[in-house]
Amino acid sequence: MSLTKPVPPHHAAHGSRTPRSRGAVGLGLGVALVLLFVAIRLLAPEEVGNLLSNSVQDFFTLSISVVIESLPFVILGILLSIGVQVWLPEGFLLRHLPRNAVARRIVISMLGVLLPVCECGNVPLARGLILRGLSVGESMTFLLAAPILNPVTIITTYQAFGWDDGILVSRILGGFVIANLIGWIYSRHSSPMSLLTPKFQASCAHAHDEVPATRTRRSVDMFTKETSAMLPALFVGSAIAGLIQVGVSRDLLVTLGQNPVLSVFALMALAFVVSICSNVDAFFILAFGSTFMPGAIVAFLVFGPMIDVKMLALMRTTFTARTLVQLTVIVGLASAALGLAVNALA
Amino acid sequence: MLKRLIARWQGILLTLVGIVATVWLGATGQLGLYIHPRYFWFSIAMALIGAVFVVAAFAFTPLPEEPDEATDAAAAPEHHEHSHHDTPEPPRANRAGTIRAALAAVTIVVATGALLVLPPTTLTSATATQRSINSATSSLDASSPTLVGGDTANFTVKDWALLLRQNPDVGYYADKDVDVVGFVTASPDDPENVFYLARFSVTCCAVDAQPIGVPVYLPGWQEQFEEDQWLAATGAIEQNPGSTGDEPLVLVTETLEVTEQPEQPYVF
Repeated sequence: MSLTKPVPPHHAAHGSRTPRSRGAVGLGLGVALVLLFVAIRLLAPEEVGNLLSNSVQDFFTLSISVVIESLPFVILGILLSIGVQVWLPEGFLLRHLPRNAVARRIVISMLGVLLPVCECGNVPLARGLILRGLSVGESMTFLLAAPILNPVTIITTYQAFGWDDGILVSRILGGFVIANLIGWIYSRHSSPMSLLTPKFQASCAHAHDEVPATRTRRSVDMFTKETSAMLPALFVGSAIAGLIQVGVSRDLLVTLGQNPVLSVFALMALAFVVSICSNVDAFFILAFGSTFMPGAIVAFLVFGPMIDVKMLALMRTTFTARTLVQLTVIVGLASAALGLAVNALA
Repeated sequence: MLKRLIARWQGILLTLVGIVATVWLGATGQLGLYIHPRYFWFSIAMALIGAVFVVAAFAFTPLPEEPDEATDAAAAPEHHEHSHHDTPEPPRANRAGTIRAALAAVTIVVATGALLVLPPTTLTSATATQRSINSATSSLDASSPTLVGGDTANFTVKDWALLLRQNPDVGYYADKDVDVVGFVTASPDDPENVFYLARFSVTCCAVDAQPIGVPVYLPGWQEQFEEDQWLAATGAIEQNPGSTGDEPLVLVTETLEVTEQPEQPYVF
């Protein structure tokens, strides 16, 4: 990667400096900022923490842990999205998909096997796929299926539950069916673009204007734009998740967990609140294992990767609020039906 | 101008806050306060890759902006001909842009405060109380091998809590010395006489931390110790002398001393 790549004239015209010195100044500025943040970290006085009450402190610890846990997955998702948009030949992924709409969605719901990111990494990737021509309904199928139908999630779920109570099988099949159902419903929408936020629509409209710049530059530029969309949502979503956890008693949820019907809804509420990644949620719920009915666990493992506080914040960068409400209701009802069915059979 | 700068750089700045926090926590061995050790290398590797992009983002001049809502609204009405006024954006879009920039600035400041200024800490007894201690033992139990008959010399509070559940027969503990470290949290059933020496058991990250602990019988413990204090205890498991409470077996201590919080306060 070179910093001296020629810059199109109309950019250089911003200032009288040459592109080379501009790059050097920018680089210097970047390094200075990194050092500034490191200095803040190193010089922050230890005593600050003592000013906070236990609950406030725990709010910060919980929110920070969601950020620290999700950030690497978000970065990975952005990198994969850059790979799809900038480095793969135009239409590479989409050209090989079947023409038939149903078969196409089925293949799309399996893409997670190739691109094993958890749900927070999927949002940037899905945005990239829409820009590359995937329809809105298909992007939802991908978004909902990939966190469940991917090798990491399947392995961790297997490690946690084995074949007990059909939890693993119900999770995989449930995720697959719900994702395809949603894709089918939204494929029938008369103007799918209206499901997207105006800002993202604008990006789509410009997606095919090739910017005259090197791939490296476009990659870096995309990184800047995607982080600007994703990171504020991640931080705000994590703070909300932390806040709810400090405020809502776990006891209440666990008490509800003994009832075959209520336990399903209680665990879906828990999944919505804790917002942990699908790659690891099986371990989390294992800690409650015997308190809850298997159907409730299935509902948790199917609903959580698709919809939760953090995901809604991230998806809001791309879809309108109205669309997300519909999506939440449909996925919620379908997950609940699945959970209740498993409980009825268990 | 400032608004545009914030809109463009908010993601990079937030990423940088997260990256510096992650790498610093990793370098000082404190990443375990937030996530399970199995994610350490992945988090640090992605943070370092992210750092390369962040620095590169500063080195390149921005590519032409996509029109965002604010400029769209400004540009769309073509009949805006007598724009002799010095306001290129209509006031409404302008205000929305200002609010958005202000919120972004607040997010950046709060994120910096939370991740870079606050000292990293463990969860406190507030969360232990809220998540009801040992509620998860039954399932942790199911996933761990039986501890009955194991060598108890290196047992943590987690192992003891599981063992107490697996084998409630007091005779079994007659010749077994307990030596554990944990923090103090009051028993919800019998707060006068019993407290737990607890640790958080973490499966993924601090979000899923489950408090788990050994009940200690010591009437009037509040006069000597306070909640959240870390204690090292030795002693033996005995029948709970108090009749109230859910715990049939408790630790009766021989020695009980205030100690430093261990480097890795959670158990995995």
